[in-house]
Amino acid sequence: MTGILFATFLTASVEWVEAYTIILAVALSIGWRRALEAAGAALLALAALTAVGSFLLTRIHDLAILQFVIGVFLTLFGVRWLGKAVARGAGLKKLHDEDAEFAALQSRADIHDARAAWFIAFNGMLLEGLEVWLIVVALGVQTHHTVAAACAALLALGAVAAAGIALRKPLARVPENAIKFTVSAAVLSFGSYWILEALGYIWPLGDATLLALFAFYLLGGLALIRVYTAKLRATRAI
Amino acid sequence: MNGFIKTLFGDKRTLAVTALSILVTLAVLHSPVLLLAGLVLPLCLLAGAAYLAGH
Repeated sequence: MTGILFATFLTASVEWVEAYTIILAVALSIGWRRALEAAGAALLALAALTAVGSFLLTRIHDLAILQFVIGVFLTLFGVRWLGKAVARGAGLKKLHDEDAEFAALQSRADIHDARAAWFIAFNGMLLEGLEVWLIVVALGVQTHHTVAAACAALLALGAVAAAGIALRKPLARVPENAIKFTVSAAVLSFGSYWILEALGYIWPLGDATLLALFAFYLLGGLALIRVYTAKLRATRAI
Repeated sequence: MNGFIKTLFGDKRTLAVTALSILVTLAVLHSPVLLLAGLVLPLCLLAGAAYLAGH
């Protein structure tokens, strides 16, 4: 359970930091009250989605099917994040820059229109929150800890909000790529563990395999970063 | 809606990587070396992440 709460908290932290940048840009344009209204509406939509998602998944009574469905969704999410984190770690892609994101948002013409800005804040919060929703529902339903996972996500929201209130500027110093890298390894571990278990495979180490898988994805990802970094240097040297 | 679908399923490459990894694992699970399936799936997914990183 600790692993699940930790993975949820980290995923949520990264996503809420990105959402905060959007809310901040909108708040400086149309005021905090309206920006927070939009963020609150998006959070309500996410809460409703969490309830619906959990309800639908708990309707699946066959444990193997449930494990497979959740395993596939987690794997889709984890492999995407690991690919991105490796690309950014190796310098193939630019690191996500909250300051640049904030500047880009502030230069948007429609951010000064109250209605358009409200929707920018709402969409931003909703889209960033969707990945949190996926993790909360997938990890929570499979382990029967949906409420605890949702609380971990809300705790992350509180931490980001507190940091935001204190700083009143984009949270650019959050090591986003390192967090995404770690979370992707954790999520892939759960995903591949449940997919294989659903297919009838018996893991030789039982639940302890999760730690071995986590180490495998972490070390494998680090090796990939080294390979791509060396490849990039070699290309630049030519 | 697009954001919702992309969050759930990712792009075409992510879908292909995951589907291919599961198919290879299924093939191994139905072969005499089924015990290796626990190694094959993580290896395929790591290879998939390497592919996604390069594209």
